[in-house]
Amino acid sequence: MPEGSAALQLAVGDRVVYPNQGVCRVTAIDVKEVAGQKLTFVTMRREEDGAVVMVPEAKVVAIGVRKVATAEDVERIYAFLRSDSDKADLDWKQRARTNLDRMTQGGILGLAEVVKALQVLSELRPLPTKERELYDSARHLLVSEVAAALGTAEVNAEDSIDIVLFPPGRERPKRTAAEFARPDGEDGDMDLDGDLMGLDGGELDLPSEEEAPAEPEENAEGEGEGEESEESASDESAPKKRGRPPKAKPAEGEAPAAPKKRGRPPKPKPEVVSTEPPPPPKKRGRPPKPKPPESETAAPAAPKKRGRPPKVKPPEGE
Amino acid sequence: MIRVVTLDPIDDKQLAKFNRTLYTAFGVGSEHSGSAEIPAGMSEPLDAEKLVDAVKGIRAYTDDKVLLLTTRKLKDRELPSGTAPTVGFARQGKDRAVLSIHPHKDLESAYKGLARHALHQLGHLWELHHCLDPRCSMYPPWTPSFSQGEPIFCTFCREKSEQKIRLAKS
Repeated sequence: MPEGSAALQLAVGDRVVYPNQGVCRVTAIDVKEVAGQKLTFVTMRREEDGAVVMVPEAKVVAIGVRKVATAEDVERIYAFLRSDSDKADLDWKQRARTNLDRMTQGGILGLAEVVKALQVLSELRPLPTKERELYDSARHLLVSEVAAALGTAEVNAEDSIDIVLFPPGRERPKRTAAEFARPDGEDGDMDLDGDLMGLDGGELDLPSEEEAPAEPEENAEGEGEGEESEESASDESAPKKRGRPPKAKPAEGEAPAAPKKRGRPPKPKPEVVSTEPPPPPKKRGRPPKPKPPESETAAPAAPKKRGRPPKVKPPEGE
Repeated sequence: MIRVVTLDPIDDKQLAKFNRTLYTAFGVGSEHSGSAEIPAGMSEPLDAEKLVDAVKGIRAYTDDKVLLLTTRKLKDRELPSGTAPTVGFARQGKDRAVLSIHPHKDLESAYKGLARHALHQLGHLWELHHCLDPRCSMYPPWTPSFSQGEPIFCTFCREKSEQKIRLAKS
């Protein structure tokens, strides 16, 4: 449940925040009959563009509608943004889930957390498109709420946030993946190690790492944006290697074994030697039409006329 | 249309070059639309917020964006979290911005930095927020490296500004 919405008493003229939409003003609270039921609806108008939304009063809290933050809340936001405690999550799925929760249920602090986390992550590597959009959206909502809370222009609210995030006269630090590594050594790969899946490297005849490209790993990682960068980052932090451990190198005297070929083994050839010439190779595709005998071809048929056949003329006598 | 209005005398050739840069960045026409007077009673350093509202006598259409250029210093803004160094000022989504070329005497002496600041302020007029990419003109302008960059936008900000411009036209 979002902060400050446990006992939300709304009145006409109140300023509220609708999750993911922004600051709205309550314009009406009235009873309407819907499908034979009398329901109380709260009508809200978004301040940014005047869009109107009607919500049943009983669902207002469940949706996450809350009062606009106070000046004290904004002070706490500045303190949070100033702190250097936030570390970005390198697991993109976990990060996406957390950010979604923060955006909808986290209140103004949730918005600040999304902005801060993505800003910290961008110091490690450029954000993928979806997260860049999320960052912009979170920033927009945060700026409009801070502006509403302080009663100031949006540009001043944004500058006051960015003075904290990007202090004047200082460049942003460059981060390394090692800074984001968890203390227990997890690398954020969903913890799907071979032993967890019941697969032991020695039981399957998998190609060795030199032969296998990186693509199976990508497929196992799942779809989504930024997964390539995810992997590259996890490589940087020297995580546990998944899959089969590398094979032991052969002794110096032994000849190196030929690399195993992938795929189905070739069919064994028949050993019977025949003296007949090999049949001509089969032509692929549709077989040609059989030619009519020459006598028939003497009088070539008139080419078919296209279109509707002419009407049969009635006999003249009728 | 971007209309550049000078509050102090600035060389025409430099203004023409400046307009070309703005045209390249936003893809909309940009022209020098004359000059205006700073209202009486405003002393240096100028209060940017008041200046933007107080300058009169500018003719523009509804979807035009007006950039006021001055050689005078703007006063830094006192904000709840600290003092914001102020080279320019623009309200989000509105139609007027102001840019000071102080401490430079003309546009040419620090052209890239000033063009970048101009793009930044005009970007705010098209509802762009600050960006994370240090190469983008929407990066916070008080960072030391800001003035050294090229007057360009990152892909995200460029697409967003183009979208806003399209919406304004339609």
